[in-house]
Amino acid sequence: MSVVDPVSPLGNTLVPGRHGAAGDGAVRIAERRCDLVQVFARKGRAGDVAAAMLARFGSDLPGPGHTFDAPAFSALWVQPDGWLLVAPRSPEGALAKSIKAACGDTASVVEQTHGRSVIALSGGRAAWVLGKLSSLDLHGREFGPGRAAVSPVAGLSCVVHHRDAAPSYDLIVFATFARWFVTSLTHAAEETGYIVE
Amino acid sequence: MIRIACPFCGLRDETEFAYRGDATVSRPPADAPIEDFHDYVYRRANPRGWHVEWWHHAGGCRQFLKVVRHTMTHAVHSVGLASSTQVVPPE
Ligand SMILES: [Zn+2]
Repeated sequence: MSVVDPVSPLGNTLVPGRHGAAGDGAVRIAERRCDLVQVFARKGRAGDVAAAMLARFGSDLPGPGHTFDAPAFSALWVQPDGWLLVAPRSPEGALAKSIKAACGDTASVVEQTHGRSVIALSGGRAAWVLGKLSSLDLHGREFGPGRAAVSPVAGLSCVVHHRDAAPSYDLIVFATFARWFVTSLTHAAEETGYIVE
Repeated sequence: MIRIACPFCGLRDETEFAYRGDATVSRPPADAPIEDFHDYVYRRANPRGWHVEWWHHAGGCRQFLKVVRHTMTHAVHSVGLASSTQVVPPE
């Protein structure tokens, strides 16, 4: 099968190196090249989708605001009876095909790998940087590892996935807005400094 | 700024929602007189006080919600699913 997406929608927007303010508070910004698959249960079939995904992939389909890390992907709740699956890159379309094979007519399965970009933001001050662009309550009592939220970031529709306690966030936006989004993010990170690898 | 407690997403800013109008009107039967359809499309009570409204969580879970909002104070009394019946408190 063909190599997936050799050219990033970001182009040269992220320049490797250390940028912005000096100091030890720098955050890390990177593009994560992922497979993305959207799974929306058809009307009244959410239970069937959940059973199929558990049987085939050992994955729970999480409830509102939550995520589940299955062996093959992370499942992010994005709307009632709707999830976004995020996985490492594999041969083109393979994940979506295997999901569709498991779910059959219980769900609409849509390949989103080329439709969206995953921008990773991490480091001790990542929440502070993200807080400039988002009205989400990122405090630990409301949000933390294993949580996800759909909410505008920098004015753009975004899925925010809190992956680990570093903290690391995946920010998933439409690929056609990715350059604009990353430009906003790097501007927000000027104050802390940021590292692109 | 109004904040609306989405039943799915939790407390979110008004900017994430699209206002979609009066949730108290209901479509007349197909054989109703034209005047009833006129009223259904155009006539609104415009109350001073509690009002049941549609708000679409366009920036979040994309669900239509029923919100009981006070038109003078912007206080939000309750939020429910589109299929719910919202109880309007006394003034
Ligand atoms: Zn919502």
